[in-house]
Amino acid sequence: MQPPDDAHLTQGHPVQPLPMAASAMRQHPKTRQSMPPPTASSSSSHPLAQSEPSLPPLPIRDRRSTPSGAASLFRSTLTTPPGSRSASPARPASTVSMTGSVFGNPASAGGASGLLKQQSLLDTDAADNPGDPLHLMLRSFVPHVAIHGSADVDGLVKEKGFLGGLWELLRPFGERVQGKVTIRDSNGAARAWEDFAVRFVRFGEGVEEPVGVAAAAGANGQPPSEKEGAGSRRPDLIAQVETVVERHLGFAEEAYVGSAPSPPMTPTRQGLDVDATSPYYALYLRRLLSGIPLACHESFAHPVACVMAISSRHPAPIEALQKLYRETSQGERSLPPWVDGDYLRYYILVHDEENGDITKSMALFEQMKRNFGLHCHLLRLRSSQSAETDDDSIPLPRSDWMTAAEELADIEESDRREDFEDPTRYIFESDATAIRTFVREMVTQSLIPTMERNVSVWNDQVASRRRGISGRFMSLSKRWAFGSSSRNSTSGGSSSSSNYDALGFYRADSPEAIMRRLADFAFMLRDWKLAMSTYDLLRGDFQNDKAWKYHAAANEMAALALLIMPPNMSSKTRIETINQMLEQAFYSYHIRCNSLYGAVRCTVLALELLRLRGGSGVDESVRWGIRVLESKLMGTVGDALLKERMAICYASKHGAGSQLWGSRRRKSALWSVLGAEAWLGQTKYVQAQRCLNEARRMYALLPGECGVQNFGVASDFLAHLNDQLRAGLRMDVAYGEEHAGDGQGEAEVDEESEMLDNKKSRRASLIGPVGGGAGLETAPLNDTKPARLLEGDEGAANDDGFG
Amino acid sequence: MSYYFAIIGTQDNPLFEYDFGTSKQGGDGQPRFSEQARHLNQFVLHSSLDIVEEVQWTNGQLNLKVIDKFFTNYISCFMTGGNVKFLLLHQPTATAGGANTTRNSTSVGANPTSPQTEEAIKNFFTEVYDNYVKAIMSPFYKVNMEVRSPVFRQRVAAAGRKYL
Repeated sequence: MQPPDDAHLTQGHPVQPLPMAASAMRQHPKTRQSMPPPTASSSSSHPLAQSEPSLPPLPIRDRRSTPSGAASLFRSTLTTPPGSRSASPARPASTVSMTGSVFGNPASAGGASGLLKQQSLLDTDAADNPGDPLHLMLRSFVPHVAIHGSADVDGLVKEKGFLGGLWELLRPFGERVQGKVTIRDSNGAARAWEDFAVRFVRFGEGVEEPVGVAAAAGANGQPPSEKEGAGSRRPDLIAQVETVVERHLGFAEEAYVGSAPSPPMTPTRQGLDVDATSPYYALYLRRLLSGIPLACHESFAHPVACVMAISSRHPAPIEALQKLYRETSQGERSLPPWVDGDYLRYYILVHDEENGDITKSMALFEQMKRNFGLHCHLLRLRSSQSAETDDDSIPLPRSDWMTAAEELADIEESDRREDFEDPTRYIFESDATAIRTFVREMVTQSLIPTMERNVSVWNDQVASRRRGISGRFMSLSKRWAFGSSSRNSTSGGSSSSSNYDALGFYRADSPEAIMRRLADFAFMLRDWKLAMSTYDLLRGDFQNDKAWKYHAAANEMAALALLIMPPNMSSKTRIETINQMLEQAFYSYHIRCNSLYGAVRCTVLALELLRLRGGSGVDESVRWGIRVLESKLMGTVGDALLKERMAICYASKHGAGSQLWGSRRRKSALWSVLGAEAWLGQTKYVQAQRCLNEARRMYALLPGECGVQNFGVASDFLAHLNDQLRAGLRMDVAYGEEHAGDGQGEAEVDEESEMLDNKKSRRASLIGPVGGGAGLETAPLNDTKPARLLEGDEGAANDDGFG
Repeated sequence: MSYYFAIIGTQDNPLFEYDFGTSKQGGDGQPRFSEQARHLNQFVLHSSLDIVEEVQWTNGQLNLKVIDKFFTNYISCFMTGGNVKFLLLHQPTATAGGANTTRNSTSVGANPTSPQTEEAIKNFFTEVYDNYVKAIMSPFYKVNMEVRSPVFRQRVAAAGRKYL
């Protein structure tokens, strides 16, 4: 569903339509008739073993109802794997095609598990695979850079067509910093990362007030009685994420009924699909992680730097910058007391290339440097709006990390407006280059060095004191409340001896808050060892202070860091430690703080990392998945996606020997069936069909090759699901055909003749919709397979107890 | 507590299936599975074979005890010498579980992982195994054939009443 105007975007690295979708399109039978097409009549003789991954019929619904503009809103889940950000202007031409990311690393299937024992998870290919949850996780816990521009800058950017101001223009470029970024860890060892990112946010947005001390006091085991404040916002976030994914699913359902089934694979090379994440699951995770609020209990969303921007149009630029500075440090717009005020200030002068005088701007820039030091940049932008037809225009991609609320607003707007225009915006190539250079310079020359310096200073001054014997003694003495009067002077004479403020948070200058920042910085700079050890110290402190949300967050991050870093203990104690941390995090988030968002984020990320660790980690991973399902943390969409994911988790466990002892194929199939049932309940037939196919495939891989067909009730149930699915698809198709028929004057073709003239009318319905079908028609249609695959499908159905 | 007992042949094929409920604490011996759970039980039991295949190599005993858990379903396994598996799915009754766990935590019905339950299941398996061996000694019985003997079914039911 690539709108034609996407040509620029995909140049050089063609975004391929899903191969399965392409080949499946050709062979869809006219499903309105109940008889199978003649080619499939000999199907019963096909043994199951031969059945290829069965391609379901893929009828096309009328797509003129879906304008190409709306399609571009859903592009992320429809054509490209959502994470493969080949569309980003900030990214050098990528050679990773979609199939490459799916099939790229068959070796990782079996052989890598031994290797994994000494490796950090980052050295596995999962970290590079764009849709993979690990990759998503790395991309979500990145330094946040607040943007605070003067009115004239926003005016200039608005002229370029970006109503959101400078922030909207810069955001996509922060999602991948061009080139390698070298980071030194606490030991001084440097490592270059290809995929470093920063998140641009608007200054002072998304602040989440801590729950008052009353609720915190009640949190001693029982859930807090009042659920207002922070707690009430969280379910909203999950609900929003659910709605967004639901809309994407609905669009896919509308766009074509039938499916691109689970990635193609042959029975001999099983487990390939475990490398590809379902686009909807990835979307769910991305939206979940993109809304990290600016909360007190973790400092990921706290600004690491603040960009202050003025433009060359401003009459009194230096004063304007000083005013901006004052606004960030005092006054009502300044950040709450739990956010450290000493973040990096970065000053940029936006020079208007078309109307401004460059010599004046250069002079002004020199003056800025003298006044504000080296953290300055001169950003030269053209002030006119770029149109698609301009020679040197490139499209600015939609941000991958927009929040669920934003995306929802976009989708709703596109619904409301009849003449929906393509939301893609264009900027000049020269502007893009300038911004890219700016982002890179800021990150490598200012941001990273500042963070590294902060980490080493805090580590020396605060954390290492706590690590020694005296530090332990200090924490003991603090616990028993003698001494330490000087350290809690900030807490306003509260009776307890801790730094946990009466208001329910640690002030930014308390040692706990500094250590939390240290750990978060280390995590963002990917120094897992330092992060882990610091979180570990904090866990105990927060528990003693009964700061449950802090406690939960510290446990969560400690577990994640421990999972990522190369293991050095035996896998058993390791998993026990991790489980314990997760258990505490889950309990604190869910029961004590009533923070569903935290609980979901913690468990879902942990289960993904556990899955990547393989071995018994897979079982643990599913155990956590069941915990999430049991606690009913997510909505229906999330539950179904999670069930699907459990199936993939189990499928990624590999057995040993010729019988593959220790693999979990039956379990995987069971979860696929559960997933299919859940999707059918929501009338999401595309997804349901994918799940059923997956279940069928897994059952066919079993030694007996008979799956559950000997179990009466179970195989009846499967047949029932299958019938339901077919009925659902047929209903949809009938609906689609009616519409297609109306448009083409084929309404008079009655059912019978359609059946006889099956092939012709099918082609007509394929080519017919001119409006939205561009992507489909360009798909490489494969003519040879369909009939045989269809037979396989039927065969599998017969042999497998699927009806 | 409701039970679903199945004997699984070497080809993942069920040889014998039997649903029953607890007869302890005034139970009437009727299974209390929900309508939806009936097919789910079969799926769950079938999926536990994955675990059986793994655990059987780590344990020298025939009785593998509780090997798997799926939401509130616990699965116990007993391997016979001929690679035929006895699987027992036990599900604590949802309502009784919440109210009575503290009071009846040692009773067979309420706590699926208590040693008492384990012992009871072991006895049940042993008795069924005795009867199973006698049943398949029939000269007309071949490997992986369904066990249709009504006498065997009665005896399984009796064992269930006696121990579970």
